Order: sequence, then structure tokens, then C-alpha cells
Amino acid sequence: MLPTPNVKNVDYERVYEPAEDSFLLLDCLEEECEFIQSRFKDIIPMVTEIGGGSGIVTTFLYKNILPKAIFIATDINPHACEAIVNTVKLNKGDNNTLKIPNLVDSCQMNLTSAIKSETIDLLVFNPPYVPATEVPDIPNDPEDDTWLDLALLGGEDGMVTTWKLLDDLDTILSPTKGVAYILFCARNNPDKVAEIMRSRGWNVETVILRKAGWEVLSILKFTRV
Amino acid sequence: MKFLTTNFVKCPIKGCQSSLDAFPLKYEECQLAQEEQEYNPEFLCHMLERLDWNAILKVAHDLGNDSLPPTKPEDLDPIMEDDQAILKDLHTLLLETQVVDGKMVCKNCQHIYYIKNSIPNFLLPPHLC
Repeated sequence: MLPTPNVKNVDYERVYEPAEDSFLLLDCLEEECEFIQSRFKDIIPMVTEIGGGSGIVTTFLYKNILPKAIFIATDINPHACEAIVNTVKLNKGDNNTLKIPNLVDSCQMNLTSAIKSETIDLLVFNPPYVPATEVPDIPNDPEDDTWLDLALLGGEDGMVTTWKLLDDLDTILSPTKGVAYILFCARNNPDKVAEIMRSRGWNVETVILRKAGWEVLSILKFTRV
Repeated sequence: MKFLTTNFVKCPIKGCQSSLDAFPLKYEECQLAQEEQEYNPEFLCHMLERLDWNAILKVAHDLGNDSLPPTKPEDLDPIMEDDQAILKDLHTLLLETQVVDGKMVCKNCQHIYYIKNSIPNFLLPPHLC
């Protein structure tokens, strides 16, 4: 079993605290480790986690799955952007023996809006998937106390933010090798999402499915046919 | 924000999507810092393959560095002394140079984005989303 990164000194009043969904994502990536490593063995891949939060998933990818990659983690929350960089540094430790530089950066942006098109080889997204009347507005003030809501509330069916990404997936992922792992809860109707995406020419596969408290979470993998 | 990252970020405004001027951004009034990184020449050579050299030249120029070769160095051999010097320079520039503070300007729409505490902010006001 691959080690879970340490996360320390993160302000959980403002940044999403690793929970069942985060750990499901780690288990999924561990299961997919061989597939990911062999898919990118001939290139230095560009890896992007959207909504990196505490940085636990990006750190896990850097340390355990793809140490030789370029990482840009994004979050709309400035506190999360700081936490991501700090968590990577906190866990860097034994990678020194691999002589691999730390190429993880975090950028404050919406989804992948400022990353060049058709560049991301591996995309990971644990979206705000909780159904709500609307997706909250982005606060103007870094000290605002509603940053955390943005990590959770996903509007109608909890799918408003995720659809924004899926609708653009073809221009976001690199043309041949691009792959995306996206987390869903049962109320997002992942089967229906998979069906729509298949009709648009994507391979969609459920990698992992788990009951977590009162939620049923799953992670879908998207590749081009 | 590492210098390397400037090779992958562009203006997020929809209208700039197809403009050749939206990438790379223009870096102004930047404060830089050096952060030590593991030197791994093989990794660096491999990574160079996917970088946009013209964008590297432009950003390096913005930051006051005009010493890079005009075309992308190819077939670098970490054992050769001359190549070693180039690789060391690239290592220092691409991986160790951090933009701590500064502005990024889109050459197409002139929108200004800010870098603070090494984190670039590409969020847009609602009317530009």
C-alpha cells in the first residue's frame, strides 16, 4: 500500500479537509498506478489536479505515482493554493534520494481556464458534487468565510461545475494520451453522465465505487476512443 | 511560481483563446527568488522536448535574461562539458527561478494578472468569465 501524505497546518475553516472522497481518489490512483506509469513512460507528462484543496492528492501523485512529471494544481481558493505548495514541501523528504526536482506549482484559477489547451496529460478532479440550489459566487475578500462552500456545493444535481469541465474536456486533454479521473456521488447520476460522454466519443470506465457514510461515491475514467 | 510554469499558462479570457498573443503572457515588475532543486540532467533533457522554446526566450527577456541560445538546444549530452554548462543554466532558470511577485499581462487584451507570494491569480471578474 502506498503511503498517504502528511497534511499539517492547514486551516480547515477555509480549506477542504481530506475526507472519504479524497481517500477514495488516492485508492483509485493506487489501483491505476501501473496503467498511468506505462501510459506516460516515454514522456514527461503534465499533471493537473483541479481544486487541489489541502494538496493531499497532488502530493500523492508526485510522491508515489509520477515523480517525473510537471504539475500545475489549480484551485479558486487562495488558501488552498498555499496549502498545496506547503503540503508538497512537507512531504518531499525521501524523494531527495530519487534526485527528482519538485515541479509542483499551484495557480489560482477556475478549473483549467489559464492552462494551455490540449496540454494536460493526466487530469484529476474531486469536484463540488453536493446538489444545491446554486454554485456559490467567488468571494472578493480572501478573509471571507464562504471559501469552503465552493469546495462542496455543485448546483443542480451537484453537476454544474463538473459539466463545465466535461463540456471542454476535448480541448483540455492532450490529444492522444490524455486521461481524466473525476469523482461523482450517486446523486450526480454518474451512469447518465457516462452515457452522454460515450455518445460524444469518450471511453468511460468506473474505476472504483464505494459506500462512504450515507453517500455512494465513484470515480470515472475518461479516455478518447 | 516556477519559471517553468510560464510555459504552460495563458490568458484565460474566452476571446483570447485563438489569439497568438495570449501566450506567453508578458511578465512585468517581477521579483525573483532562487529555490534550490535536485539537479537531474537526464530528466531536464527529456523535459526540454515538450517545452516551447520561443515562449521561454520571451519570458526570459521579460525578466532581463537574454543569454539563452536562439534555438532550442537539441541532443544535449549530460557527459559533454559544453552541454553540461547549458543544462546547468537551464536548470537554474527553469526549475530554480521563482517569480515571487509581479504582473502578467495578456498581449492580446491587455488584462493584468498578479502574482503574490509565488501564486499567480487567474481569476476573472464576473463580467469577463
